[in-house]
Parts: sequence; structure tokens; C-alpha cells
Amino acid sequence: MHYLLTFRSLTYAQRAARVLERAGITGTVSRVPKAAATKGCAYCVIVAARHKETAVSILNMAGFSPERTLLRNADGTVEAEK
Amino acid sequence: MIYLDSAATSLQKPAAVRYAVAEAMRTMSSPGRGGYESAMLAADTVLDCRSALADLLCVRDLEQVVFTSSATHGLNIAIRSLVKPGDKVVISGYEHNAVWRPLWGIGADIHVAASPLFDPDAAVAAFQRELPGAKAAVCCQVSNVFGYILPVERIAALCRAAGVPLIVDASQGAGSVGLDFENLGCAFAAMPGHKGLLGPQGTGVLLCRSPDVTPLFYGGTGSQSQDAAMPDFLPDRLEPGTHNVPGIAGLLEGVRWLQKRTCAAVLDHERELLAAFSRRLDGVERVRKFIAPDPAVQTGVLSVQIDGLDCEEAARLLAERGVAVRAGLHCAPLAHTTAGTIDEGTVRFSFSPFNTFAEVFDAADSLRDILL
Repeated sequence: MHYLLTFRSLTYAQRAARVLERAGITGTVSRVPKAAATKGCAYCVIVAARHKETAVSILNMAGFSPERTLLRNADGTVEAEK
Repeated sequence: MIYLDSAATSLQKPAAVRYAVAEAMRTMSSPGRGGYESAMLAADTVLDCRSALADLLCVRDLEQVVFTSSATHGLNIAIRSLVKPGDKVVISGYEHNAVWRPLWGIGADIHVAASPLFDPDAAVAAFQRELPGAKAAVCCQVSNVFGYILPVERIAALCRAAGVPLIVDASQGAGSVGLDFENLGCAFAAMPGHKGLLGPQGTGVLLCRSPDVTPLFYGGTGSQSQDAAMPDFLPDRLEPGTHNVPGIAGLLEGVRWLQKRTCAAVLDHERELLAAFSRRLDGVERVRKFIAPDPAVQTGVLSVQIDGLDCEEAARLLAERGVAVRAGLHCAPLAHTTAGTIDEGTVRFSFSPFNTFAEVFDAADSLRDILL
């Protein structure tokens, strides 16, 4: 399982991914699935489920708080974090 | 050819610039339009360039770095964001048409803070006189005609104290004089990529203090695409349409070259070339050189007038001898009016980090030959 951390722009998502990279966490910049994109095209950073808590904490401290956190299940479906 | 027109466009660039342009055309598509490799490679390059520019120009947040197609484009955005018809706007006496014409087009009440050439104290005093009641101010960092470095830090301080937002036209200073956007406290700073930043033509940069800006163009940004309104955040708000990725890739290499060489070293070199060129022309009585009494207020740009020879004819004769310079009014009639050269214009020699002493001696000797 992976988490999708969404951001308002590609630039923000890229910067967030670089913050995580410097902290030793792999984050891949990707487009948000259409069904989960509330305002149209958007970008996210995908992190492994085991890194999610740490990643969000690091991003909050760095001033790059994700807009939303989405869970991508093993079958590819995406749902908002419960 | 001896190229001495870098104040218009730097022709000589680091080799890495043209390689990067070619490589971008081969491998990169468009950022913000897909998640596939070539789109993300383009996105990384654009972000790297934004980041390098933020470092070079002391910008706190790299979202404040907006790519434009030229300094003129950026200045139009800045002016349209701050100025409404009838607003009082104070500008220096050395502004380019990229400032004067947009203000005139809007119908602004333009007040020129005119002051003598190479006199920074007088420039500050002129702004101090004119600022009351102004809605905005515009000042070039360096005159494109005379290489005169205006006291923008002091003028910015005056503007801050008066609560007047300042637009800095850094077209001639970026890459040599340098710019500290954070400490300057201006509302905007605009510059081209193709002059001192050593990037390709068709690139430009606008530094924005705030996302409260008026877009010139509206369109797709790859973000919030279900909204009819443009995004309210930078850089997306001002960057609709496809980025000039090859241009930005080249600009990135120009900026990297400057970061290694340093702007201060570039400025020193250009000043040394100017001094050597000027000394070579000592004793040529027909040549009037516009040289600052204090070298600290002039970059590597030298305007001259030649007694009894039209400036355009002088430039033509120099071109015949393989020396490329610009003559006339340099799209800055205001600067010529202020300096008293509006009727004759000037011949402008502008030096780059890639010019050599041998080149400037040859150029000076060519001018001597013409005047024999």
C-alpha cells in the first residue's frame, strides 16, 4: 500500500519530494487520479505506507503540508484517509 | 567578429548552455502535463532553474520566481498588477521603453525623477521629491545606455518608507551587479534570461513579492483545471501555457556558470575591459566618452559620441571592420533626454565575461582607424 500526499501545484509537489529525499524517504511525484482530484489536474507525492507518518511530519515541519492524504490500495483504488 | 553588444543580447555563452538546449529538445516534453518520464524530466529542469535563480538572486521562496518570455513581458505583468489609469507613477530618468510604453499605454500619470548621469545622490533626491502621492515607482538597476548603476537599494528604502511599491528593472544588472531580492524589499524585479544571465533568447524572469498579481495571459497551468479562474498561487498564476523548456534548460546552465564564476568577478572583468578600451582611445579628441567619475557606479557599458560622425554611421563602419556595437537611442529615449544625448544618440560598447583585452584593443583601434 502507498499513500498519495496531494499538493496545490506541481512545483509544490516537487519541492515536497525533494524535502523527503533529503530526509532519506523516497517520494515519487505523480498525477493525482482523476477520481480523487477535486479541482481537476493535480499532483501528489507517493510514499510507502510505512513512511507516511514520518513523511507528513517532516513536510509539516518544512512548511509543505499536504492538502490531502489519500490511500492507494493494492488493487489500485484510491480513497481518502479514514 | 568582435561582439560588443552584450547589453542587448549576450551572444557568447557557456558551451553547456547550447548543449542543454539541444538535450532538452531531444528528451523533454512539458512540465505539468503528464507523469511520464519526459514530462517529469522537464519538470525537474524547470524546478532546478527556479531554484538556481532563487539562490543567485536571494529569493526566499522559489515560488516567487516566475518564468516569462522576456524582461518586457515581466515588466508588463508588474506594471499591470500595480498601476491603474490615472495613477501617479514615479520612474527614474533612465528607464527603457519596456517601462515607459506600458505605463503610457495604461494612461498612468508618469512623473520622471530625472537626475544627472552618474550622480546617485541626485537620483535619490529626485525620487524623494516625486514619491508623495505615488501609487507605484519603477527604477532600473542599471541604465542600458550608459551602464550607470542607479542606487536602487536607497530608492527601495525610500519607497518602503513611503509605502509605495517598487518595480526594479534588473535587465542590465542581473549576472553582474547582482540582486538581493529579499533585502531589497521591492514588489517586483524583472530581467531577461538572454543578457547577463547567459541564457537563450525567449527567456525571462519575474520575481514577485506576493501572489496578488494580475496575469497578462490566461490558460492552462496543469493545476486546478476545473476552475475558470487562474490559480491564486505562484508560479502557476503567471505561467499559463507550455513552458519554454529548452530555453529554461539553457538558462539553468547560464546561471550555474555564473554561480561558479560569481557576479562580482564578471563585473570586475567587464569594468577592466571598459577601462582598457577607454585608455586605448585616450587622445582621440573627437570621441566623447560617458565615463563615471566614480567607477563604482558604472558597469561594463560605455556610450560614446563622435564629433562630426553620425552614431549609426559609426556603428556601420565598425561593423564593416568586424566590430558589433549598437547605436541610436537603444530603446531608451528617456535616458537620452535625461543625459542630453537625445538629438545625436550614442554608440554603445558593451562588454561581456567572454570578451578579451585583445578584442577591446582591436575594437578601439578600429574606431581610431575610422576617425583618421
